[in-house]
Amino acid sequence: MVHILGVNLRDTHVARFALTKFYGIGQQTAHRLCARLQIHDKCKMKDLTPYQVTALTSFLSSPATSLPLPRYPLADPDFIPPPPNKSVQELQNEFNAARAAREAKKQKRAQYTVGVAAKTYVDPLKDLKIESELRRMIRENIGHQRMIGSYVGRRHAMHLPVRGQNTQSNAKTAKKLNQLDRY
Amino acid sequence: MRPTQLLLKSGRSAWKGPYFVAFPNLREAITNHLSIKTQARSCTILPNFVGVRFMVHNGKDYLPVLVTQDMVGHKLGEFAHTKKRFNYKATKNK
Repeated sequence: MVHILGVNLRDTHVARFALTKFYGIGQQTAHRLCARLQIHDKCKMKDLTPYQVTALTSFLSSPATSLPLPRYPLADPDFIPPPPNKSVQELQNEFNAARAAREAKKQKRAQYTVGVAAKTYVDPLKDLKIESELRRMIRENIGHQRMIGSYVGRRHAMHLPVRGQNTQSNAKTAKKLNQLDRY
Repeated sequence: MRPTQLLLKSGRSAWKGPYFVAFPNLREAITNHLSIKTQARSCTILPNFVGVRFMVHNGKDYLPVLVTQDMVGHKLGEFAHTKKRFNYKATKNK
């Protein structure tokens, strides 16, 4: 058993699917989380290293304030490693020259794309909401609808389907779930 | 995720913008506290509608809707309910 934020994850379960135990994490998000922490696809919960468990806990406790993902730049396909007898000084010079060239290229490109916002990487897990936070958000959304007196809020208060489904029979899910204080 | 979806919750494409109907008597309605009678239920409530009293058609008659700040982004028709609550009436002569 691994306990993370009050949720018990079974040892025998595959990590990628065990994470879906959390309210608000489906298979897609669980896969992304595993990729972020470098957990392979067939890793069981019992095979997680303590470091991975603590990393998972710290990320899930506050995804918005977690550390940004470290960048691991990849080498070009035609990269040839420098000979081992090359001095550090030379390597440093080469690196600096390459970086300057890259910066110059970026500057040049910026001239042609004036006014166009540069593409920045947005972490897809940044605004992840799980468990009580997500439940609170849902409750607030329903409360907002009810407060302004819209049709959606009214249907929630009546425990009836919101999106025009039939109510003569069935509508069981809505009768169960559509409450003003759902959680 | 498409960033435009944050702006338009309806899933309407961003270049079109929100659907709304221009009310020529809007300013007059705010100053003189008149209500605007309308059948445009699908008109999105814009920020400059706040404080206006609309009479929105529900298919039968016109229901009063006072627009508040929280209603911005919703449609006018959401606040004029079209369905009557069912209540059983016992028949008199059987």
